Amino acid sequence: MKRIIIAFTLLTLAAGLKAQQMDTTKKAGGKTSSTDSLLNSMSSDDKHQDVIGAFKATRLILSPTTTTVKKNNLNFLVIHRFGDIGTPAGGGRTLIGLDAVSDVYIGFEYGLSDNLNIDFGRNTIGGLIELGLKYAVLHQKMDDSSPIAITFLGEYGVRPYGSFSSYSARNSYLGQAIISRKFTSALSLQVSPIYVYDNTALPDVAGNDKGFFALSGALRYKVTKHMSLIVDYEHPFSSFRTGANGFSDPLGFGIEIETGGHVFTLNITNSRAVSEINSLSNTQSDYGRGQFRIGFTISRMFDFNHHDKGNGYK
Amino acid sequence: MKHILLFLLAWVTVHQAGQDTYVCKNVKINLYSSAPIEDIEANSTNGVSVYNSTTGELEFSLPIRSLHFPKALMEEHFNENYMESDKFPKATFKGKIEEHPDLTKDGSYPVTVTGDLTVHGVTQTRTITGNLKVSGGVVTMISEFMVKCADHRIDIPQIVFHHIAESIRIRVSATYTALKNNNPSK
Repeated sequence: MKRIIIAFTLLTLAAGLKAQQMDTTKKAGGKTSSTDSLLNSMSSDDKHQDVIGAFKATRLILSPTTTTVKKNNLNFLVIHRFGDIGTPAGGGRTLIGLDAVSDVYIGFEYGLSDNLNIDFGRNTIGGLIELGLKYAVLHQKMDDSSPIAITFLGEYGVRPYGSFSSYSARNSYLGQAIISRKFTSALSLQVSPIYVYDNTALPDVAGNDKGFFALSGALRYKVTKHMSLIVDYEHPFSSFRTGANGFSDPLGFGIEIETGGHVFTLNITNSRAVSEINSLSNTQSDYGRGQFRIGFTISRMFDFNHHDKGNGYK
Repeated sequence: MKHILLFLLAWVTVHQAGQDTYVCKNVKINLYSSAPIEDIEANSTNGVSVYNSTTGELEFSLPIRSLHFPKALMEEHFNENYMESDKFPKATFKGKIEEHPDLTKDGSYPVTVTGDLTVHGVTQTRTITGNLKVSGGVVTMISEFMVKCADHRIDIPQIVFHHIAESIRIRVSATYTALKNNNPSK
């Protein structure tokens, strides 16, 4: 009985409130009308969506990013590193190293699915040919149910030319877990633990490690909608690859410009090599010795999806 | 007690939105840009709309991310560079139909709606024409109108100027269902 009374009281109360509400909405010119609240209740905020555009390109200066090429898309890459700017070989004689070529990478990345990419490319240094698979295992979500994105990358490298003791001695392997987070619409950071194994130590010097761990960190800061500043750094954890033995950590600074289907990166780095296998194993060029250079990346995306006009909508 | 509260909630909701309220949860929106180099089209079926036939109020809401493009890169650029959908996740329209079409009679009624169109966080008062059709108690609305990118502070850089039109054609199509009123007292 008590319950019924309570219910009844509530009902009458609600009806009274309702009548009042009707009056106020009419006075307010329908600004807080029931239509509004109904629309708001219907349009669910879908916050469980993937965060997009943590990085514009699949590569920064030294590191690959968590970004993958989408299904049936082909990314064509030309990555160039010029000669030393600050050594006697650079300067005015070679127009700050622009006459010289340290390394050129020409390659392709293809989206087998939105999350799985296959890549293929060739580097000038060592004639290294690379074949890789990249898989986006986790996407950052807008509601932070997943605060980070994780992409795995595996690369196989082979040096077809030069004298090696056997075929397997030509091979190198790289495994990398790329972890990124887009903190704001402008700022994205990523860190990647890496393991490199060269069947022939690179450089092939007594005491050098064939296999070693490395860590890379990169930052992208969007200055305008189409231009970003990028910083990219790598550090190999190798007892042999130390400053005392003449090695340096690769470090790059750059500007990334996006224009429709192209992404251009203009950068300065001490690393001569484009490939991570080469740059992590053997960077002996140092900013302090003037051994830094201009580099650029041209990335052009081709979309092979059928242009399904209309999608059933007329 | 739980049940009573639930009932109460349902009762209040039903009362607020009476028989004169029509809703559509799958508004079809088509976006079309025609420029010298390419034509770009995107579609969504995730818009929602509420129409109150007594007051003439008509509202739409569209999640920007639900617009899908044939090219993945276009969709990313649309969200990242032009619509900034992380900051402005929705486009809305809140207006009133000037005419009072008789929804009990089958027929096709040209309608004029005046209200606020909010895209990219910028609100413009617009008068948009469309057509309201009643057929066997089912209300359908269609409309086609242009939205100027500049009106909503959507910048198109010079470099892609020949790829993206200055004015985007929007087509809207919504089929409404009446909100049922279960309260016998009314």
